[in-house]
Amino acid sequence: MRLIYLVVLALLASPILLMPMAAAASDDDDEEDDETTSREFSFRAGEGVKIGDYRVELISVVSVMDGLIEVKVWRRASDFEDWRVMEDHRDANFDEGAERGGLTLTVIDIFDEETVRMRAEYRSDYGYPQKYVTQRAMAPKNLPKLAVQATVDKTDISAGDEVKVTITVTNTGNDTARDIVVQDSPPLPQFRYLAGYPPKIKNQLQPGESDLAVYSMVAVTVGDVNMPVTVARYADSKSTIYSASSPSISIEIKPKRMPNLVLKVDPPGPIKHGGEGTINVTVENKGDASAYRVEVSAEVKSDGNGLEPVKGNLDKSFFEIPPGESEMYSATIKGSRSGSYAINLVASYQGDGEMMQKETGFEVAVLEREHKYLYYLLIVPVLILGFWLFRRYKEYKY
Amino acid sequence: MLNVLMLGIGQCGNRILDAVNKESFGGSSKLSKYYSRQKFPSRVETLAINTAVNDLKELKFTSAKDRFHVPNLHGVGANRSIGKQGFWDNRDMIMEEIERRGDFDIAFVMTSASGGTGSSFTPLIIHELRERYKNITVIAVMVLPFREEGSIYLQNAAFSMRDIMEVESDGIILVDNQYLKRLSGDIKTAYDKINDMVAERILFLIESLDSEMLSVTDLGDFKTVMRGGLGMGTLGFYESDKKTTSLTSAIEGSIKPGGLLYPANVYEDAARAMIIIQGSRESLDVDEITKSVEKLSTKIGQVFKGIIIKKGKPKILSVFTLGQVPDLEMLYAQAAQAIQDEKGRKTRAKKQLDDAFAYIEDLEEIY
Repeated sequence: MRLIYLVVLALLASPILLMPMAAAASDDDDEEDDETTSREFSFRAGEGVKIGDYRVELISVVSVMDGLIEVKVWRRASDFEDWRVMEDHRDANFDEGAERGGLTLTVIDIFDEETVRMRAEYRSDYGYPQKYVTQRAMAPKNLPKLAVQATVDKTDISAGDEVKVTITVTNTGNDTARDIVVQDSPPLPQFRYLAGYPPKIKNQLQPGESDLAVYSMVAVTVGDVNMPVTVARYADSKSTIYSASSPSISIEIKPKRMPNLVLKVDPPGPIKHGGEGTINVTVENKGDASAYRVEVSAEVKSDGNGLEPVKGNLDKSFFEIPPGESEMYSATIKGSRSGSYAINLVASYQGDGEMMQKETGFEVAVLEREHKYLYYLLIVPVLILGFWLFRRYKEYKY
Repeated sequence: MLNVLMLGIGQCGNRILDAVNKESFGGSSKLSKYYSRQKFPSRVETLAINTAVNDLKELKFTSAKDRFHVPNLHGVGANRSIGKQGFWDNRDMIMEEIERRGDFDIAFVMTSASGGTGSSFTPLIIHELRERYKNITVIAVMVLPFREEGSIYLQNAAFSMRDIMEVESDGIILVDNQYLKRLSGDIKTAYDKINDMVAERILFLIESLDSEMLSVTDLGDFKTVMRGGLGMGTLGFYESDKKTTSLTSAIEGSIKPGGLLYPANVYEDAARAMIIIQGSRESLDVDEITKSVEKLSTKIGQVFKGIIIKKGKPKILSVFTLGQVPDLEMLYAQAAQAIQDEKGRKTRAKKQLDDAFAYIEDLEEIY
């Protein structure tokens, strides 16, 4: 029983005994809270981070090239507010710095006009930092934004074809784009530039405004061409320089388009002596360009003049035969003397400024004059044989 | 060149003559007459004479102008008396048909000894030929019948043979159907073969009598042979083949029973003979031939030999007359017996008929 009383008494007495020890431990914690810690953050303009009661906001990237940004640091429930332009890789103390309970910030890297990476040093007891987005960041910015588009009127081209390239620059931002300079690809060796090159765009474009430049060029060599991007550089009202570029364009330059005439002749079979025969001629353009000033002429190679034109003529001319199309004509001839006549057809035509020629040959046979009485001669031996057999039959028939 | 007359009398004679004409065309094809020409070794005139026009129509290789139908007769029904009367009735016409063909040195009259027309016409025609042609040699080629053919045929054969002997032909060449029917199973084929054999041998004989020969046998020799013995003989033939080892054996082959047209034992029955050997110069050894013929002469008597140089295998033709003909005697005996039998049958039939008529003797018809 006395043991139970002792235990209860001990339990009741324990808080009183432990209290001086707890006070000593609290003194130790205060010493620990004075220690600092650091952490790195990535910010976009308008974003901030809560570190204890401090708030750190990235106002803007002043200059990427110079490594300058503008930040705002303030403390909740106090009058402390500090706007400052910070330099790249240089520590900046706010509210006397981290050693004295404030903040020490350092710009580690500036990615672009919007994004930076910073390191914050602060007292360890400020807890785990939390990022947040300010109302200002969510509000639309008054910045110009250019969209660049480069188009060609055709991508399926052949050597010698003319191609029109259209560069269109549109300001899709909400501020005026200034000092606009368009840099097109350097002159490509695969093309010969005709007019409008290099393309010129207005110096300034208001929000929503667009401008275009057109230039033309002629494909010179055969092969695949990858046209480089067209870059537009511009600045906003703060002279911040931006750039925008168009997607690249691939063009295949095929061999030069040429007409290709094919002469097809349907000659008549052997013509009887004094008979007539019809020659059908087809001039087909199997090329991929029109043939102009087509002249078809016929030449009889054989000696003598045993063929006489009766109707139509083998010589013919056509102004144009488009690719894939054909022209047909026919002529009737009369064979006035037997023999084999070789006829050569020559088609001369113009394509892409140069004269071309195609030819084909065929033969027309005129048969010998038919002597029908010769057929009767074949009957004679048959008759003789028949007569012989009949005579023998009668000789031995009793 | 010999002028040869070949007469085929009656159905049998016509057919032998047709076989001769066929042989002259080459003898191989039925159509040879349409594309070939007749080739005889001499000037040969052929004439088929018959009283039955149908027999003349059956001929294939004899020209129409060489077929003579004795007018107004439709066969003589194996009756020699009707045949003889038919000849006398048409003698001038028949002989005129023969004389129109010119003059002749030798005539072969081919006939069956047993038929009607042949057996009756032949002795008379031979007689007429001897009367009208001064120097002609007439040889009868007589075909003896099958012994079982019938009594009339046997009787005809017996009497016609006697008639021919009486008209003094220059010789008779006997062909015995009874002996030769062993050549084939059926009668038709046997007849054709016999006719072809006779035709081939007679043409060979004519050629041998009219050829430039290494060793000459002429018509005179032939006549001498045919007048020997009984004046009747036959022909033997042999064609060498791979089995024949020598000319001697080939010559012996031509006189063996297998090569003869009439059954005879040449060594014992022959009176005179003529041996004609045909072949290429390389295949003929004159010494061997001479020795063989001399050997034959010692047994037979007179043997003439002829050698013809001609391309081809050696062929031997033997012609001989017989001093005795026992088989012919048998035929006459059979013929006499047949006549007796026929006479007996007729007497019996007459008696039976007379006995039958006796039943109505002295009776009158009552109506």
